[in-house]
Amino acid sequence: MILTGPEIALAAGDGRLRISPFDQAQVNPNSYNVRLGSTLLVYAEDILDAHRPNPTRHVEISREGHVLEPGQLYLGHTVERVGSDTFVPLLFGRSSVGRLGLFVEITAPIGDIGFHGQWTLMLSPIRPLRVYAGMKIGQIMFFVAVGPITPYAGKYQSADGPQASAYWRDLVPAPRAAS
Amino acid sequence: MILTGAAIAAAHAAGEITIEPFDPMRLSPNAYDWRLGETLHACDGALDAARPTVVTEIPLGASGFVLRPGVLYLGDTYEKTRSERYAQLLNGNRTIGSLGIWVHVSAPLGHQGHAIRWTLEIRAARPVRVYPRMTFGKLTFLHTLGAAASYQQHGLKYATSHGVETSRLYEELPGGRP
Repeated sequence: MILTGPEIALAAGDGRLRISPFDQAQVNPNSYNVRLGSTLLVYAEDILDAHRPNPTRHVEISREGHVLEPGQLYLGHTVERVGSDTFVPLLFGRSSVGRLGLFVEITAPIGDIGFHGQWTLMLSPIRPLRVYAGMKIGQIMFFVAVGPITPYAGKYQSADGPQASAYWRDLVPAPRAAS
Repeated sequence: MILTGAAIAAAHAAGEITIEPFDPMRLSPNAYDWRLGETLHACDGALDAARPTVVTEIPLGASGFVLRPGVLYLGDTYEKTRSERYAQLLNGNRTIGSLGIWVHVSAPLGHQGHAIRWTLEIRAARPVRVYPRMTFGKLTFLHTLGAAASYQQHGLKYATSHGVETSRLYEELPGGRP
């Protein structure tokens, strides 16, 4: 079951979910509109390595906006800190943003129960697209869960700003070669 | 919870779901199999979230049209759908996915109360020929929790789309200022 807008507002008030800052004007019939934060992360090297920390550089979106280029991956973030210890959150783009050819996530819309923080957006445009900090870019919806809950305690907890992939943190160190 | 095909048929009969035109043969185990419409709008230029999108209209003839990688196409569903009771999720089907076609750009949700022919955001991984009114994807219906709010009462932008509609995000960004 997906929460209605009025239920999202109720749950934000009684603590079943947390959205900060919360603005009633961003509540839709079945979702909450989240805004694009001002910081983008771009991977600095051409080839990414899933097993290593990949160098990144920060880009601040200026008042004139910033043009996202096809073929490049930008990690953005939501202004809002969003999470729930009760419901399963899903983040997708808004249709107004989809119509501009901008993906805001890459095969990872489902959040974990118990994650609280700013969400990292995986921005990848089909055509060059100028975006602006503060624009409403995505929608978070909430689903009712069935079963006992073990809340998220993972590596992106309490995220502040965009987070690069930290797959490498989960690796067991390779055994040293016998000498 | 997701409605089964039989539950979609029952909700349609009860007036809780509108699908026009409705064909019971298009019900699948947990979805309605929707079709591509008859027009595409192509965009191969640069876009700006604060400005209207420039597009070229492409009527889809019987011989079809070849989608090209790197171009953004806006299309629409042949069917118009509405439900005040259920939320909707629109996606492609595995046949279309296997041809390398995206039918939306990370935006599958249909809010309670919208009454639209959905605008599709189409992207192709490889050149691929598509045809008007071909079966293109699956529309699923979700139970909701809480008091209902309707898209019709929100004054939202695309409440009653009758065909392909480009983004109206620029209305929220006068001069690039949110």
